Amino acid sequence: MRLNLVLELLDIPGQLIDALDPIGRLGANIVTVIHQRDVKTERGTVPVQITIEGDKDTLDRVIDALESQNIQIMEVDGVIRKEKIRTILIGNIVDKDVKDTLNKLNEVEGVKVIDFNLKMSDNPEKSASKIIVEAEYGKRKDIMKKIKEIGESKKFLVINEV
Amino acid sequence: MKICILGFGAVGKGVAKVISMKRDEIKDKYGLDIIITAVSDTSGAAVCEEGLDPALLLEIKEKTGKISKYPEYGVPNLSNIEVLNNADYDCLVEVTPTDIEDGEPAKSHILKAFNDKKDVVTSNKGPLAISFADIAQSARKNGVQLRYEASVGGAMPILNFAHDTLPSCNIESILGILNGTTNYILSRMAKEGSSYEQILKESQEMGIAETNPAQDVEGTDAACKVVILANSILKRNVTLKDVEVVGISKITQEAISLAKNEGYLIKLIGEVSSDTLEVSPRLVREGSPFAVDGTLNVATLKTDLADEVTVVGKGAGSIETASAILSDIISIYK
Repeated sequence: MRLNLVLELLDIPGQLIDALDPIGRLGANIVTVIHQRDVKTERGTVPVQITIEGDKDTLDRVIDALESQNIQIMEVDGVIRKEKIRTILIGNIVDKDVKDTLNKLNEVEGVKVIDFNLKMSDNPEKSASKIIVEAEYGKRKDIMKKIKEIGESKKFLVINEV
Repeated sequence: MKICILGFGAVGKGVAKVISMKRDEIKDKYGLDIIITAVSDTSGAAVCEEGLDPALLLEIKEKTGKISKYPEYGVPNLSNIEVLNNADYDCLVEVTPTDIEDGEPAKSHILKAFNDKKDVVTSNKGPLAISFADIAQSARKNGVQLRYEASVGGAMPILNFAHDTLPSCNIESILGILNGTTNYILSRMAKEGSSYEQILKESQEMGIAETNPAQDVEGTDAACKVVILANSILKRNVTLKDVEVVGISKITQEAISLAKNEGYLIKLIGEVSSDTLEVSPRLVREGSPFAVDGTLNVATLKTDLADEVTVVGKGAGSIETASAILSDIISIYK
């Protein structure tokens, strides 16, 4: 069987080789690779479309291997696997340990922080930060709830998407 | 149909106005003759079995500020309960000021009318948000009708819309902008880049926000509507204290501009579902149904059969709110 994947790779040398490695190693065939370094996502990553061929078990093992290498699989046969969830926090995030906040978010199962933006105000309490996380598709509501808990535990005003 | 209007503020006056505008038309269309037999305000009341003149009621109120000055039939210092005892009416229009502590005195007025076997139409959120179950039960027990379309979203149809237009569907959740004042403030903050404090002050000067804006900006008003929707449409048994509420007073220009960069707006959203009762600032995508400006209200009902259905309308205003009350009166007659 054939499987169409859309991966998202960082734009640094060696990424594509690393992504292709487990495919050959585990015995799947690469049918096509479409890799255009000039076409980037809004946050600077490069989407790569790959079609692979093999029996079902082999293809499953390939996907597991890619995921264990932290390679982002955005789509499998046109089905979106990851979605972005945006949140804005209001409060003095600098004073309350930005790194700890982001770590706590990253610790939530299936969640990865992919973008962080800070806008400081003269009054630090009025500062705002935008956080975009990537999460497994379909878990939006649970994850929004967790983000809210983490934000509120640090006394931020949490503004989630509807 | 004889109606008794308790409360003659913006909404009460609006009701008199729309009745004076539409009385003949409604008579022709539906065979319903609406006669105002009693009106009260803080000064007392005007009571007349044969009917009061809506235009004269408005003129007296405008000139003297006191409805008890109505020629011949004005009675100073008559209490609302006395009005209900003395007046000859079929339907009470309860539009006294909203109280969100105990829902009084409106709750007592409504329950008294039910016990006297009268129907009730109200825009009053207080008693519905505090004691929905008691009030609905009393209406059932007495075999009378209770209608309160105007209590949520002003002229935006939502309660009757869900009950009468979508009876085939189960409503799974409702998400919406249920407060016009906060929507006005947030819309202007996003458009002009001014601070919350600045826009609030201007809104107060324009009469869009009240002198004490807490009920609007802290989300309490929207929370009352969330409770009414939850009880009426999702058949939950909840009150105001069950709602998780965060208002807009801490929303900063920094947050709005970060949202904007992403193509999002910040709106105060009420959410009702089987496991959620919430009012909080949320991110909505520009160009989505929630991206409405000014004092508009909007609500999206998620249904089992029809998927999502969205309604938009004016959430406040004397005539707009009165239009919902008049529709309820006609529905009771039909």
